[in-house]
Amino acid sequence: MSKLVLTRLGMALLSLLAVSAIIFWCVELLPGDAAERILGRNATPESLALLREKLNLNLSAGERYFDWLRSLLSGDFGVSLVADRPVLDYISGRIANTALLSGFALLLYIPISIALGIITAIYRGKFADHAISVIVLIFMCLPEFVIGILLISIFAIKLAWLPPLALIGQANSFGELLRLIALPTITIVAAMSAYAVRMMRESLIEVLESSYVLMARLKGLPTWRVLLFHALPNALGPAINITALNVAWMIGGVVVVESVFEFPGIGRLMVDSISHKDVPVILAISMVMTGAYIATNLIADVLVILLNPKLR
Amino acid sequence: MSTTELAAGSDKARVTRRGIRLSAAGWLGGAIILVYVLVALTGSLWAPYEAAKILTGAPFEGASLAHPFGTDNLGRDVFSRVVLGTRPVLTMTFAATLLAVVAGGLIGVVLGYLRNWVDEVGMRIVDIVISIPTLVLALLIISAVGNSLWLVVVTVAFLFTPRVARVARAATLNVVTNDYISAALARGESTLSICLREILPNITGIMLVEFAIRSAFAIIFIGSLGFLGFGAPPPTPEWGLMINEARANASNSLWPVLAPAAAMAVLVIGINLFADSLSRLIDRQGQNAATEAK
Repeated sequence: MSKLVLTRLGMALLSLLAVSAIIFWCVELLPGDAAERILGRNATPESLALLREKLNLNLSAGERYFDWLRSLLSGDFGVSLVADRPVLDYISGRIANTALLSGFALLLYIPISIALGIITAIYRGKFADHAISVIVLIFMCLPEFVIGILLISIFAIKLAWLPPLALIGQANSFGELLRLIALPTITIVAAMSAYAVRMMRESLIEVLESSYVLMARLKGLPTWRVLLFHALPNALGPAINITALNVAWMIGGVVVVESVFEFPGIGRLMVDSISHKDVPVILAISMVMTGAYIATNLIADVLVILLNPKLR
Repeated sequence: MSTTELAAGSDKARVTRRGIRLSAAGWLGGAIILVYVLVALTGSLWAPYEAAKILTGAPFEGASLAHPFGTDNLGRDVFSRVVLGTRPVLTMTFAATLLAVVAGGLIGVVLGYLRNWVDEVGMRIVDIVISIPTLVLALLIISAVGNSLWLVVVTVAFLFTPRVARVARAATLNVVTNDYISAALARGESTLSICLREILPNITGIMLVEFAIRSAFAIIFIGSLGFLGFGAPPPTPEWGLMINEARANASNSLWPVLAPAAAMAVLVIGINLFADSLSRLIDRQGQNAATEAK
């Protein structure tokens, strides 16, 4: 089994390396070179030449790629062209904010999707199942920015219960923070749970119709025991895969959700950096996001291997 | 007549004898899609105003007979913009999905049929491209190549292609073990001819479902890009872009935000209902074919 896990780990590292080349190459294609972008219209030929020298732009793209890779491995992400400070310093606070938002979302997402999945599976074909399934379908079909804007229109503009923007830098107490982060969190949870509930329902129904659940029922065990100790553990494998898919989705979706609420996270910084052509920051964020994405899939793979006795 | 043609012939007869039996939800979804296509085709004939015409009324007017969905910050008629937006949205979605399904389908079928080192290398590349979050890669590519309508289409197609290829390859693996493939090989058919004439017709159903599901994704994805300002350039009446332009003024009027959002949501729901029902239909046909074969 450890061989299987090690192979996956090796594959993940290889993908990350390949991805770094793809991302570097994409950024190379951005119009104009870094020196022109920094100096803008005030550029004189002399200052351009000087800055090109300083930024090593006279080297070939290949050489600069390996330079960048080498400094990346030693933990040096370069200097932001816009903020003029080390990239790591600049993005670490943003990463923490995004982690906070994703953490809150995951904390709510897990119990909600398990509970709704169980309800729809037990009452399948009945009113509760139909009602929840219709709502789930609607949420699945709404893009996350539409969910976000609907929530803003209802809770911030019409009812004025919650602030429309999640500028969490302004929060000075935990309660305040919760109020500010509520709408983006709900947006992410709604978008993620929709898929999860549907998949949970399918896999739970399959488990509930299996012979060992029938056996447990025939033994006269109470329904909650059958559910918690017989059905749920066997629906766990698919649930982990769904959660991994969702977390992977969230890494991209967070870009959109943060833009809707002007949340100071890594996703919005990505969009801003692209419009400012701040190459070191774009590269760093792309690598961080892709790394998180690959790590999520790796963890899910390993968990599924660990949970499956046949692969152990 | 070869066995392959016989099998294909009887398959066709079965489909026509039974007709296409979709569920009620599937019909509803199909009807929704049809209405959108009709609006996209004829909208320019009956939309009350031009999409970019400003000051058709006062800015931020509410719903009225003259402006069923009100007006936006420039006094443009929201109803006309939503109606006229169906054409760019449907065109971009259809073009991107079609490109992805054709390219991904061909790649998947060929790789799945070859199953040699080419397949090995191809699938590794597919895995690597898939391991970059789609939206991140899309933003990078579009900022590098620019955001004209067609570059967005090509970018979205490029991102969807490896995902389609995976599905097509998996479907091909189920088909290549059939006897008619060995028969075709024995007849001396070329690789290309086997892929196109023997495998492709037998995974058409799966690819159709994939096309439907992907196009729903494409609408959301293109909308998200438009919303972030990386989609079709203004003043294209693309729904995501409209929502982006209108949300700063959401406290003045919600119509310019909600109307394109609702238009997008209904279309995606329609496509999903249709795709769901289509995939069940094809599953059932597959099962029937399997039982008849026994």
